[in-house]
Amino acid sequence: MASIRRSGGERLWVRYLILGTWALFCIAPALWFLSIGLRPRTEIITPQPIYWPTFSLDAWHMLWSDWPMARYLRNSVAAIIGSVIIDLVLAIPAAYSLARYEYRGREDIGFYILSTRMMAPAIVAIPIFFLFRNAGLLDSVWALMLIYAAVNLSVVTWIIRSYMLDIPKELEDSARTDGASDLRILWEIIIPAIRPGIITAAVIAMIFAINEFLFTLLIASTPKAYTMSVALANFTGGSDGVIYNAIALVAFLAFVPVFIVVVAIQKHLSRGLTLGAVKG
Amino acid sequence: MARIELEGIQKRWGPVWGVRDVNLDINDEELVVFLGPSGCGKTTTMRMIAGLEEPSEGTILMDGELVNDVDARDRDVAMVFQGYALYPNMTIYENIRFPLRMRDVPKAEQENLVREAARLVELEDYLDRKPGALSGGQRQRAALARAIVRKPKVFLMDEPLSNLDAKLRQAMRVQIKHLQRQLRITTVYVTHDQIEAMTLADRIVVMDSGLIQQIGTPDEIYSDPANTFVASFIGSPPMNIVSGVIEDRTFHSEGIEIPDLSIEHSGPTSLGIRPEDCLVARGDSDRSHFRGSVYGVEPTGDLTYLTMRTGDRNFEVKTDRSYRADLGSEERIVFDTERIYFFDSESGRRIT
Repeated sequence: MASIRRSGGERLWVRYLILGTWALFCIAPALWFLSIGLRPRTEIITPQPIYWPTFSLDAWHMLWSDWPMARYLRNSVAAIIGSVIIDLVLAIPAAYSLARYEYRGREDIGFYILSTRMMAPAIVAIPIFFLFRNAGLLDSVWALMLIYAAVNLSVVTWIIRSYMLDIPKELEDSARTDGASDLRILWEIIIPAIRPGIITAAVIAMIFAINEFLFTLLIASTPKAYTMSVALANFTGGSDGVIYNAIALVAFLAFVPVFIVVVAIQKHLSRGLTLGAVKG
Repeated sequence: MARIELEGIQKRWGPVWGVRDVNLDINDEELVVFLGPSGCGKTTTMRMIAGLEEPSEGTILMDGELVNDVDARDRDVAMVFQGYALYPNMTIYENIRFPLRMRDVPKAEQENLVREAARLVELEDYLDRKPGALSGGQRQRAALARAIVRKPKVFLMDEPLSNLDAKLRQAMRVQIKHLQRQLRITTVYVTHDQIEAMTLADRIVVMDSGLIQQIGTPDEIYSDPANTFVASFIGSPPMNIVSGVIEDRTFHSEGIEIPDLSIEHSGPTSLGIRPEDCLVARGDSDRSHFRGSVYGVEPTGDLTYLTMRTGDRNFEVKTDRSYRADLGSEERIVFDTERIYFFDSESGRRIT
C-alpha cells in the first residue's frame, strides 16, 4: 500500500514539473512582452545583453498621448460585443433547426454553413471589400461588427448545435405535451440547458474577433474604425520606425482580458474546442 | 376524462415498421397497459396518442373527435417519461407549475394547484430544490406531480418506473394505481415488465412486432393466452412451451407423454404448462407426465424454482419451499391436466 502511495506521489510530482514547464513556456512570451513594454525604447534595441532592465512607462504614456488608444479600444470592444450578439441571435435558432427539425437538405445546409469556414479568408477579401464599399459601410465599426459576425457565425452555430444535440429529446417532448410552443421550448428549456455551450461559443467568437486582422485592415482605413489589432500594425510604419515597446504593451493589453476570460471558463472551453473530436 | 379510439394505426419510417396495425378502444377512466418487449411498438403507439408522432395510416379519436392533426400541446394529455424529463434549470415548484403557466392558468390558482399536486405525491418539502438534488424516486414523483397538476384528459406513462430499484418500484406502482383511481383519469401505461402490467392494468394490450397479440384483463391474459407469445411473455418464470406432436389423442415429446386428450387436433403441436401448475411426483406413484434430470434448484424463501433439463431444453417448475434435490438426479413431474394449453406449432395460435 505504502509503496503504491509513494509511487503515486512521485508521479504527481513529475506531473507538476511537466505541467509547470509547459505553463511557463506558454506564458513566457506574454511576460516577455510585458517586460519590453515597460522598458525605454533605446534599451530594447541595444545589442548588449541587459541584466538589470530599467523600468519605464514611456510606452504607456505615448500610447495614450500620441495615439487615440481609447478610441481603438472602444472600437474593438464595440465591434466584438456587437458581432457576438449578432452571432448568438442568428446561430441559436439556426442551430436548433439543424439539431431538431427534420427536413430535406438539412445535413447539406449544415455542411454548407461549416464549409464557409474552410475557405482561406483572402479569397473573399476583394469581393467583401467591394460589397462593403457599395453598401457605403467602409471605415465604420458597424461594418466590422458585421464582418466579424459573418466570419464566426458558422463556428458559433456548430458549437451550439452540438450542445443542443446532447439535450435529451424527452425534455422537449415533455414541454410540448405540457403545452409549450416551439419558441417557448427554445427559450425556456433549451437555452437555459445549453448555457455553457452558449458561453463557450461566445468566447470562441470573441477570441477570433480580437485576432481578426485581414478584414479589419481592409475595411478600416482611418483611426475612426481602427481596432487594437490594426493599431498594433501601425506602430511598425511611419517616420518613428518600429516602436517595439508600444507594440509589446498593446499586445499585452489585448492579451490580458482574453486570458482572464479563458481561465474563467476553461472547463467549458475545452469541450467546445474538442468538439470535432468527440462528436460525429 | 376521455375515451380513446385507435383505428388501423400504422407507423413506418421508410422501410422500418414501428406499428403495423393497431385497433383499440380505451374506455373513459380506464388504465390500459401496453406490454411487450422493446421494439414492439408500444412506445410508438403511445407517442402517437400524445401527438409526438404522426401515424402513417389510421385515425386517432379522443371523445369521438379526430385528433390526428391536433398538435401535442393542444391534445390535453400529460406524459410521464422514462427519464423523468424534469427541466434541470427549474426548481421542483417551477417544474410542476410549468404546464399551468403554458396554459395561462391564473397566477393565483397556480400556487394552490402546485401545492395540491405536490401534496398528492408527498413532495411538499422539496419544492425549492432543483431536480439534480433529488433522489430517483423523488424525481419520479415530481414528474408525476407535473402530470397531474392540470387534470388532463389522458395520462400517458412511458416506462415511468424502469429507472427505480425494485423496492421503490413496488411502492411507486401502488401510488400510481391509487392516484389513477383517485383522479379517475384515462391512463395509458407502457412497460415491458409483466408484473407491472398485471398489477396495474384494468386491461393489458400485449404487443409484439408492431401488432397487438391480445387484449384482455390481467386474468384473461394470464389464464387464457391467445398464442405462445402471450403465454411465454406473462408469468415469472414464464410458461413452459414444449413442441411435440399429437397422434391418437396423445401428446408426445421428448420425456413427455400425455394420453387421453379430449381434443380432435392432430399433428405438430406445442404444449404449454405454467411452472406453478406442475408438481414433483413423490413416492412410487408411476403417474407422471414428464421425466428429466435436475439442472438447477433455486430457493427464494417462499417457494423453490426447480429447473429440469431434457435434451437442449429447460423446463421450469415452481415447487414448495422445502424442496431440495441433487443436481443431475432424476425427477418425475405431474401436470395439472386441467391447465394444459395446446398451441398450433406453426402459427403459435391457441388450439385449446
